[in-house]
Amino acid sequence: MLATLATLTALALGAPQQTDTTLPVRSGARLEVENFGGGIAVKTWSRSAVRVTASHSSRDRIEIGASDAGLHVKAEGHRGPPHVVDYEITAPAWMALNLSGVYTDITVEGAQGEITAETVHGEVKVSGGSGNVSLKSVQGAVTLEKARGRIDLYSVNEAITASDVSGDLTAETVNGDITLRRIESSNAEANTVNGDITYDGTIKDGGRYRFATHDGSLRVSVPEKSNVAVSVSTFNGEFNSCFPVQLTGKAKHRFNFTIGSGSARLELESFDGDIKICRPGAVSKEE
Amino acid sequence: MSDAWTERLSEYIDETLSEGERVAIEAHLASCAACAATLDELRRVVARARALDDRPPATDLWPGIAIGIGLAPGAHPVASLGQRRARRRLSFTVPELAAAAIALAILSGGAAWLLLRASKAVPMATTATPAPMPMLVNAALSGTDPRYAAAVADLERALEQGRGRLDTATVRVIQKNLSIIDRAIREAQSALAADPGNAYLNLHLAEQMRRKLELLRRANALAGARS
Repeated sequence: MLATLATLTALALGAPQQTDTTLPVRSGARLEVENFGGGIAVKTWSRSAVRVTASHSSRDRIEIGASDAGLHVKAEGHRGPPHVVDYEITAPAWMALNLSGVYTDITVEGAQGEITAETVHGEVKVSGGSGNVSLKSVQGAVTLEKARGRIDLYSVNEAITASDVSGDLTAETVNGDITLRRIESSNAEANTVNGDITYDGTIKDGGRYRFATHDGSLRVSVPEKSNVAVSVSTFNGEFNSCFPVQLTGKAKHRFNFTIGSGSARLELESFDGDIKICRPGAVSKEE
Repeated sequence: MSDAWTERLSEYIDETLSEGERVAIEAHLASCAACAATLDELRRVVARARALDDRPPATDLWPGIAIGIGLAPGAHPVASLGQRRARRRLSFTVPELAAAAIALAILSGGAAWLLLRASKAVPMATTATPAPMPMLVNAALSGTDPRYAAAVADLERALEQGRGRLDTATVRVIQKNLSIIDRAIREAQSALAADPGNAYLNLHLAEQMRRKLELLRRANALAGARS
């Protein structure tokens, strides 16, 4: 019975097949990969070529379009949408990546160029990237490390994590925590509705920082010798600081204080959660 | 917060008070923490408004209009965007500022996202993009503001029509997160009812409303992309 089922399933899906192709690319080319279900895993090498390895059904065909602009990779089903395709791609580190999927996990390791990665159901996990780095998922965690540039991280129903990142940073989710560690930024913003936010990074002179949650706690690092004007707003939470601060403009639910010259601006808002500031390295969600 | 000086904060920000009034309000601000906090938050709203991008039109329509109405194209030159921006004054009363925060949040978040997605998203309804007009109502009442409610209703209707193109798991996730945002909106409205002059609560409510619109738009874009 099981053998019959397996045979019928294999007939329906087609036999597993492997596509393995390597194509040369010119400097500045972009790699675009579209997937419906499965995974997209991108690694990098020093060659000016892209190797595409795809595990897919024999009923599907992997199409690789090449132009001066770069490569476009997608699968075509024999009839209707393609089945599950798992891509393993090796690309030049400098290559800009544009990766998208529906039921797709996306991972990138070692990229040094721009990255756009967007999926509906699946995780996005990226190490590397520079320039515009935009990672989005509806139902999946978004994780970024070792990137620099203009960073845009978005999820709807999962957490966002970024570490060892420098540049302008925006992180937004509805239902999940946002954890930002070892961040070097003069412009950082994180928003969630239902989740905690942790920021452990720089507060640069003249910088702008805004962290807001509706139902969750904020843990934010303020390095020694920072020059920052801090505004704290909470409707139903407590404020704590690991070091002494002189509160000014204290009103119900909100107050301000200034550290040093106050040239940077830090806005901390939690409707229904506690807000705590500490020194870098001492910011911990478990506290 | 509701003292006599509160209504003058906008003029203070705009530097239109007389010297005597300015000195008096600064003395008051030094001793009134609530007013100082309100001033600080109103300044943030103004700063956000000023930071919005004024996009120049793709083409200059004036020469054609000038010819159409019988004027030489060079006559009555239209002020440049830069000139208009330079003389733009953002002056509001406290309730207007709070309401403007909602309009700004919705326009800067939602509309900008729509523009960015325009190449991919299928337009669902002509009313999906809110008209670029200020919604000058108190934020505490904005949950029932007809324009906001209409925008939400349009998007919900479009989403319902496109629901069949989304799988059940995606629909479930979107519904769950819309519920989370709705709860945040209700809680913010409830808090505002008790403290209607609270600028933070006004801004917070505006932020949650923007989120709801954005999630609805995003869901519609997903449905459109699957068609």
